[in-house]
Amino acid sequence: MAGPLAAPVTSAPSEQRETGDRRAARRPGDRTPRAALGHFGIGRTVRPWLLLTPSLIVLGALLLYPLVRVVLISLQDFSGLRAVARGTAEFIGLDNYREVLRDEQLWRTVLPNTVVVALACVFLTVVIGTLAALLLESLGAKMRAATTIAILSAWAVPAVTGTYIWIWIFDPVNGLVSKAAQWAGLVAPGGENWFLDRTTFFAIVILNVVHHGFPFVALTVLAGLLTIPAEMVEASKLDGAGAWRRFWSITVPTLRPVFAVVTILSTIWDFKVFTQVYLMPGGSGSNREVLNLGTWSYVESFGQTEYGTGSAIAVVLTVVLLLITGIYLRTMFKEGEL
Amino acid sequence: MRIRSQSRRLAAVALAATTALVIAGCGDGDSDTANNDTTNQSLTVWIMEGTNPDATPFFDKVKTAFKKDNNAELNIQFVPWSAAHDKFVTAVGGGETPDVAEVGTTWTPEFGEAGILTDLTDKVKGSAVADDLVDSLQTAGEVDGKLYGMPWYAGVRSVLYRTDVFEELGLKPPTTWDEWLTVAQAIKTAKPEMIAMPVAGDNEYGVYPFVWGAGGDIATLDGDKWTSKIDSADAKRGIQFYTDLALKHGLSSPAAATWKETDLRDNFGQGNVAMMISGSWTPKSIVEKAPALDGKIGAFPIPGEKSGLSPSFVGGSHLAVFEGSKNADLAWKFVEMMTTGEFANEWATQSSFFPGLKSLLDEATKQDDPLVAPFAEQMKDGGETVPVTPAYGKVQAKKTVPAMLQAILSGSKTVDQATADAAKEMTSEMQG
Repeated sequence: MAGPLAAPVTSAPSEQRETGDRRAARRPGDRTPRAALGHFGIGRTVRPWLLLTPSLIVLGALLLYPLVRVVLISLQDFSGLRAVARGTAEFIGLDNYREVLRDEQLWRTVLPNTVVVALACVFLTVVIGTLAALLLESLGAKMRAATTIAILSAWAVPAVTGTYIWIWIFDPVNGLVSKAAQWAGLVAPGGENWFLDRTTFFAIVILNVVHHGFPFVALTVLAGLLTIPAEMVEASKLDGAGAWRRFWSITVPTLRPVFAVVTILSTIWDFKVFTQVYLMPGGSGSNREVLNLGTWSYVESFGQTEYGTGSAIAVVLTVVLLLITGIYLRTMFKEGEL
Repeated sequence: MRIRSQSRRLAAVALAATTALVIAGCGDGDSDTANNDTTNQSLTVWIMEGTNPDATPFFDKVKTAFKKDNNAELNIQFVPWSAAHDKFVTAVGGGETPDVAEVGTTWTPEFGEAGILTDLTDKVKGSAVADDLVDSLQTAGEVDGKLYGMPWYAGVRSVLYRTDVFEELGLKPPTTWDEWLTVAQAIKTAKPEMIAMPVAGDNEYGVYPFVWGAGGDIATLDGDKWTSKIDSADAKRGIQFYTDLALKHGLSSPAAATWKETDLRDNFGQGNVAMMISGSWTPKSIVEKAPALDGKIGAFPIPGEKSGLSPSFVGGSHLAVFEGSKNADLAWKFVEMMTTGEFANEWATQSSFFPGLKSLLDEATKQDDPLVAPFAEQMKDGGETVPVTPAYGKVQAKKTVPAMLQAILSGSKTVDQATADAAKEMTSEMQG
């Protein structure tokens, strides 16, 4: 560690001199365009902004405006079609936030469901994704292509289709799992309704989310694995390090930024899970035990045209996600690796 | 140099093509106005998808007739039910509402109260059908005595059953709740592999007949305040009977606790179900998917607790004219054409629903069709409507009643607990 760190310090003066020389050398050639620009009154500070303007306009229109609008609506009594038709409503300060945060259901079922399921999903997605990446790395070219296609197809299936497939698999009457369980004598012929119980319901949701999410992790980690210098691995092999040791001493430290990215993205995605819960039997509000933040906010706000409340929930969710990401980044990268 | 001139040529071609497209676009618009020189009128109409399996040929005929009578074009757009409410709300927000739209009867009060629909009261009073509207559909379309939706078609749920199973076991359609229970138990004993009478947890329209049949109410209006009565003694007795079919008598299946109406239909189609509460519009689609069941499906009105019928929800669609339509008079002409006379009848027949006019409904009642007559009887003698207030839409969106049912069926709450919780939630939503 001392070597690379010390190097820039010692070489700094010479480097500075070098750039200084280069700048001096370039100056004559540089002058013409800069002078020309000066004629038109466009200085150095304006130029980057001028170049950024088109994308800033697009981003502003597509991201900033809705964001501001959501915050504004969250402070209004924006409910019912009348408010939608008028486009605005009475400002009521933080009443919507008060209402949302005071709801008993949020603290008793919604938040625990969301947090526990998200944590389980993130953990399993990253672990299984990494294992899949290690498998892919160790395969030959042909097998790797075949396996990659298989993994990609899990990713390519839209969430709606994927969810229906899992519902079919666990269908209490005709489902594959139910039939197998009945055949093995594990459940009575009348069938067991896996969707009714909170634990089994979310077990199916987690299975669905992880199945849909691990390919992204697998491919990202694989890309990282392929950047690890072969000499490093060879050297450690010569030193007698086994696969386990190599994984923890070489792969993990090298891929730490990759793991950070996939974990943060998975956290954000898994906190916002909606389709995979909403489409499940009972998931759209009739089973109150299985509401999560996504479905709860939809049922409580948009289903009832309470857009003020809905916007307040959206703002709270955004803030919570920002906090989680912030804390995560701080704890994982105290050393400033990212 | 060659490359350069080539790319320049390409650019020129692209530019020319773009210009041509733009000009063509303008030209199209111009010629449109030029052709319909006297009246350049057109109506945008939203129709819900799936009610009528052959909607396209039907609307082709409507378009031709409308053009002949009014020299105006119809632009019919089909909207799936599941996306319709969101689409209406978005359209209202963007000021892009259609001229006329099919609106579900439970949505009309919400839209009417918000001031986005045209008051049709005077138009209907001045027309030939002023006294001919089916009562439940008229009530459902009124807010403060003003009619915002013209009754178009309606449907009602009764009981569908397997005639072959009943014949084999020598059973007759029941006429009281006790008989119903006996019939279901006989089926369970003889055919344990079948679900005799599934109690679907995610289907509020399945439980209402038992609430009403026992003499209960969902909610009552006192002054201008709605109060839920789903926890009254009568309502509870009905709910108890319905859920006992599953929990005490084992006539349902654990699977049904999370079923929707579509799951009921699918399982009936697979031959797993002997009886179910279902709409007049389902047998057609069941037979389409399972031709083997053709001729094996019968229907009977929902039996009353001791006698008569248990009322069932009459749901359907209105046609509504939107505020902001530039052709309100033309729009009404279209509504009139669709809801009265030949087209109303044809639509009802094709879709297995009932027309929204008493005179046409009477004609339908006289039919002998075993899959039409029981539903017509139910509609005439046992039709009810859910509380007519925009607030009930909120109760439905919150799934208060399915949540109550599912909690009972999963065993997590008793009937007393579940109905008390549901009543509290419903009252607070409706008074909120």
